[in-house]
Amino acid sequence: MRILTCIKQVPDPESRPMINQEKTWAEYGEYTSYWINRYDEHAVEEALRIREMIPGTTVDIVSIGPERIKSAIRRCLEMGADRGFHLFIDSEDYLSPSIKSRLIAEFCHDMKYDLILTGVMSEDMMSGQTGPMLAARLGIPSATSVMKLSVNGLEGSIQVERELDSGHRCSMDLTLPALVGVQSGINRPRYPSLSNVMRAKNTEIIQIRLENSLLKVVSCETVEKIQEAGSDRAGIRLEGTTAEKAAVLWRMLREKSLL
Amino acid sequence: MSHSIMIMCEQSEGRILAVTDELIACATQIADHYDSRLTAVLPGLITEPCSISGADLLVINSPGLAQYTCEGWEKAALLATEQIKPKIIIIAHTSTGYDYAPRLAALLEGCCLTSVSGIEITGDSISYRRSGFHGKLDLLYGVGKAPLVITVLPGAFPAPDWQAEPGITRIIDADIKPKLTSHVQFSIPDQSNTELDHAEVIVAAGKGIGQAENLLMIRDMASCFKRSAIAGSRVACDNGWIEYNAQVGLTGKKVSPLLYVACGISGSAQHISGMKDSKTVVSINRDPEAAIFRYSDICIVEDLEKFIPAFLQEAKKHQS
Ligand SMILES: Cc1cc2nc3c(=O)[nH]c(=O)nc-3n(C[C@H](O)[C@H](O)[C@H](O)COP(=O)(O)OP(=O)(O)OC[C@H]3O[C@@H](n4cnc5c(N)ncnc54)[C@H](O)[C@@H]3O)c2cc1C
Repeated sequence: MRILTCIKQVPDPESRPMINQEKTWAEYGEYTSYWINRYDEHAVEEALRIREMIPGTTVDIVSIGPERIKSAIRRCLEMGADRGFHLFIDSEDYLSPSIKSRLIAEFCHDMKYDLILTGVMSEDMMSGQTGPMLAARLGIPSATSVMKLSVNGLEGSIQVERELDSGHRCSMDLTLPALVGVQSGINRPRYPSLSNVMRAKNTEIIQIRLENSLLKVVSCETVEKIQEAGSDRAGIRLEGTTAEKAAVLWRMLREKSLL
Repeated sequence: MSHSIMIMCEQSEGRILAVTDELIACATQIADHYDSRLTAVLPGLITEPCSISGADLLVINSPGLAQYTCEGWEKAALLATEQIKPKIIIIAHTSTGYDYAPRLAALLEGCCLTSVSGIEITGDSISYRRSGFHGKLDLLYGVGKAPLVITVLPGAFPAPDWQAEPGITRIIDADIKPKLTSHVQFSIPDQSNTELDHAEVIVAAGKGIGQAENLLMIRDMASCFKRSAIAGSRVACDNGWIEYNAQVGLTGKKVSPLLYVACGISGSAQHISGMKDSKTVVSINRDPEAAIFRYSDICIVEDLEKFIPAFLQEAKKHQS
């Protein structure tokens, strides 16, 4: 079985995005930490588990982005993936899911993957589009928010269980090839073993360069303006030392008769 | 410039769900400006006569649409677009909507915006608002000529409290069969948690508690209050710190206690949707820009490992 897992590298959620001068995008400082999108880590783990069950399975990783994303691809190799593909673009600008799914669809063209896994969404932009769009472009079925996945032996299909709103579930069989958007909680991602870390050191990440100009042409939606998010509640921020804040909080809750 | 707007009804067993009115409210905002025609589309196996207020209704009726499948809904929506030729397609951002909306956009060579929370209209152009960068920033998107599919966050566009005239209903009997999807089965796991349901105060732990050992102080904090319970964000549950039946949010419990204390929770839209009706919200987070503070009445920028012990100390002082 040939599996592809699409991953994205995301910035540390505690880092601060700085709005650019044109107010059309935001950038992160030089010292920002980046790591694999949490949902994608679950997707990689799920791919590796299938490989353990079905001999002869290969697990490829693909990601689109600038030089920095190499470390995320490397991490997947350390977890145990077989090959890493880096669709390199020298830009930190907005790249729409529509474009990303086109690029990956093109990449998939000759690869004959049986199963494509993605995270259900990225933690930073939360669009959840690249996976389903990719499936549509490849003409294959897809399911999002998947909490259980098993391969139905010889039948050329998988059984998935989706998590619906309010925690309801829906299971179904999908004919392969298919794409699955993985939800957190499906598994516990492994820590890389020492032997895999050593192996990954010697595995080359295969880089495919993309033309920046190509990306503009097919661009669809654009970010016109970006601003600090508005507030739903007029919250007050407590000031002072830790002990002072604790005392103020106690008093405020007392006044509300909550204590 | 007039164009038609298509709304995909959210349905359950052939009945139109209330969130559909919110989609019509969103569509109406656009339509008021552009003199557009609104057509709602209802895929399903429809046995009773139906209509919808504020829009015409196009029923795509087929035995193969008796229950939701991504494939079936995609085919029904494509069939409807041939009839309606919409410029904008509006879908609810639910586990149904986000499952097929991006596919539909790709197949129509259009673009897609998910979790849209607002619309801004200036002159001849419309911008769509959604949040990004871990919920810290609001982004306004403009779109070109291509067809646009948006998924709208439930609750973002309140349904009008008056009933508009129902439009005309038209039924297309189609033969839509999912070919690549089979054995579809729905289930409802038992996630009951009476303690949480009855709690007046909920102290919730997020990924920011860092380790299972810190649950102790979350429990201690909860026990400062009468009728209290502990809960968690999805990550806290995924990490095995909190039981899944105490997960608050879109895929967990919806709670509205007198007091909700969020400890080390970032405030993702999916979490907020489960606790935003709490009377008072207190948040403890070391990131001054964390999105949770936008939904809080009392904001405490602190490391919880320092702050919670300080609070417990304070509580002790008053006890003795
Ligand atoms: C379809 C779908 C459904 C979902 N449903 C739900 C749901 O029902 N409920 C839910 O909660 N999530 C849900 N999620 C997940 C959601 O998107 C977020 O990933 C999740 O809520 C984040 O949990 P968190 O805030 O605990 O973790 P994070 O987002 O990682 O935030 C941790 C926070 O802790 C802070 N922190 C770290 N250390 C400390 C410290 N020492 N002191 C103080 N603060 C600290 C950080 O600043 C950060 O803000 C869903 C996602 C999807 C895709």
